[in-house]
Amino acid sequence: MKKFFALLLALCMVLSLCACGAKEEAPAPAAAPAEKAEEAAEPVTIKVAAIETAYGSQVWVDVAAAFEAETGIKVELTTDKNLEDVLTGPMQNGEFPDVVHLATGRPAGLTEQLVKANALHDLTNTLSLTIPGEDVKVADKIAGGFTDNNIVAPYGDGKTYMAPMFYSPCGLFYNAKLFEDKGWEVPTTWDEMWELGETAKAEGIALFTYPTAGYYDAFMFALMNAIGGPEFFNAITTYEEGAWDSENGKTLLNILDKLASYTHPSTPAQANNQDFTKNQQMPMNGSALFMPNGTWITGEMADYAATLDNFAWGMTAVPAAGTAPYSFCWFEQAWIPAAAEHIAEAEQFVAFLYSDAAAKIFASAGAMQPILGIADMLEGENVMFYSIYDNGAKAAMGGFAAFGEIPGVDVSGTFFAPIDSLVAGTITIDDYAELVKTNSALMAAAKLS
Amino acid sequence: MKSNFKRTGFIFLCVAPAVILFAIFMVAPTFNVFRLSLYQRSTFNPNEVFIGLKNFEMLLKDATFIRSMQNMLLLIVMVTVFTMATALVFAGILTREKLRGQDFFRIVFYIPNILSVVVISGIFSAIYDIDRGLLNSILNLFGQEGILWKGEQHVIMSLVIAMVWQAIGYYMVMYMASMSAVPGSLYESASLDGADRVTQFFQITIPLIWTNIRTTLTFFIISTINMAFLFVSAMTGGGPNNASNVALLYMYNQKNLGGGYGYAMAIGVVIFLVSFGLSALVNKVTEREILEY
Repeated sequence: MKKFFALLLALCMVLSLCACGAKEEAPAPAAAPAEKAEEAAEPVTIKVAAIETAYGSQVWVDVAAAFEAETGIKVELTTDKNLEDVLTGPMQNGEFPDVVHLATGRPAGLTEQLVKANALHDLTNTLSLTIPGEDVKVADKIAGGFTDNNIVAPYGDGKTYMAPMFYSPCGLFYNAKLFEDKGWEVPTTWDEMWELGETAKAEGIALFTYPTAGYYDAFMFALMNAIGGPEFFNAITTYEEGAWDSENGKTLLNILDKLASYTHPSTPAQANNQDFTKNQQMPMNGSALFMPNGTWITGEMADYAATLDNFAWGMTAVPAAGTAPYSFCWFEQAWIPAAAEHIAEAEQFVAFLYSDAAAKIFASAGAMQPILGIADMLEGENVMFYSIYDNGAKAAMGGFAAFGEIPGVDVSGTFFAPIDSLVAGTITIDDYAELVKTNSALMAAAKLS
Repeated sequence: MKSNFKRTGFIFLCVAPAVILFAIFMVAPTFNVFRLSLYQRSTFNPNEVFIGLKNFEMLLKDATFIRSMQNMLLLIVMVTVFTMATALVFAGILTREKLRGQDFFRIVFYIPNILSVVVISGIFSAIYDIDRGLLNSILNLFGQEGILWKGEQHVIMSLVIAMVWQAIGYYMVMYMASMSAVPGSLYESASLDGADRVTQFFQITIPLIWTNIRTTLTFFIISTINMAFLFVSAMTGGGPNNASNVALLYMYNQKNLGGGYGYAMAIGVVIFLVSFGLSALVNKVTEREILEY
């Protein structure tokens, strides 16, 4: 009996080792071109790593298969919800995948670290490639503004280092039914916003809440544009001296301060990875009116929405405060590590991501590629969300300029996390201004471009 | 002579695998931590620039680091004091007194210890819920306003409660093991002399399990440093605005977002030295003559 158990345990160990090493292989393509290519030469295998998000991992398996069928280049696919954990070890040992789909702004900051280490391959030439299976160039198909912002061109030298992927308009989400019932108008300026704040307060409803302070990124980027247009946005995000002291800077601080006083008092205590959905429930159940979020929220809160009687999603741009209403366009990125083994084939794969075939597969899971004509592939609530730019809102894009390592200083901890304290009342807006000014100066000194 | 040589060789062979593994996976990385703390290095850039003690200089000026160290030390002290006191009392009651359902209590107290931290943080997320949570519902019952348990003011206390709840069972079992070894005759003669239960507990039980208490104190320090990282990661992520950040979590985040690998390793060195120093200090302070029975 003992021997049997020993054997069983040994078997378990071996199996678990095998499981650790297993990778998702894309199913072999059935189409003919692949076979032809095989005859000509030994097919190249590229390693593609993609983060598994709300859109699932099947889309990547399908796209890889379609790419293999189109080009004959084999794809070894790795998808994982915690892709950073899978990639970091091998990458530190110099084993890089050929293509990685992993957005910036994630807590592990893997993409940012590679930007800091100058370890990304320049994709400027990739943009002029012809998409496999089509006769259009990549650059001609990507929608405007996506390839020249400071996220994908982090060094400010006009070179694009990341390929823009799935995009989502961000804005303020609310319960459209509640507004309808109360007969309230959705505000388009901040003055109207404060008025609504007072009206709602009288009924015991808070004006504002946010899932976690990190969600202030898209919100603040849009707000900066709504206050002073792209010039002011660039001044703040490139850490220009005096930007926070300018008239626009003062308006920004003023709005942040006032908004904090209108924020639901429970928000900061629930603004962590475990409880943030409780904050997301507030605008849905009538405890608060608005929250900053992205279009993925409908899927994320679908179960809760089903339990509510009087609820329908509404989304509006960040109200104007000098210029126009703005909606931040959030998008993910794919990139090729500079140390990748098969650069040419990897570039082919990146180009293929913008083909109609790939875009269709992605769209089937709700992931929208930033390509012209994508609007035809939209369904359901997404039609309303993605039409925000057609209804008067301007698109904001980009982020804080990349900077080298500064001990103890990062973007989120400087600009967004202190909002929690501002709402809780443990710091004042002057403390906040002091912090962002001090750290902006440090970031300016360490800026990579 | 020959057999002696053979014997030494055999012992050497037996010990070698463990020693080699220990050297490769424990000793070498530890040395590497100390070495890297003197360098500026990012995670994916193999270029290392020697900068001497500059990382440590910057640590002293880093307010978030100081706050996270304070939080860590506060947690060590609070969790140790509360866990030890409760575990000792429970262990004393369960070994010395005849209670109905004794075994049931033993199991109940031990259960939190076998739960994973993620499950515990899920349970406490429900307990600390602002509107429908267990604690706030009780407060509301007495006409009190609910507390923001994970807000800036109370977040450390909330962590302490969860960590103590998790740790009591483990230490209780350890204390019970040594308490049950204390001969019953000592208690009998003490009660003949008129000593009540409390006096017996402080005059007989505590001195006789002192060695055990000392050992657990070191456990407390090391495990609280590690467990704080797990609890904070799962329950608050260090928030709101670093109010619950602890040193290990700060080290982990600095590796990715802030000062890079070298800076993170400098934090690692400080944590290493503090935990070592603290353990040594506690060991020294609690030194007593070992009582035999």
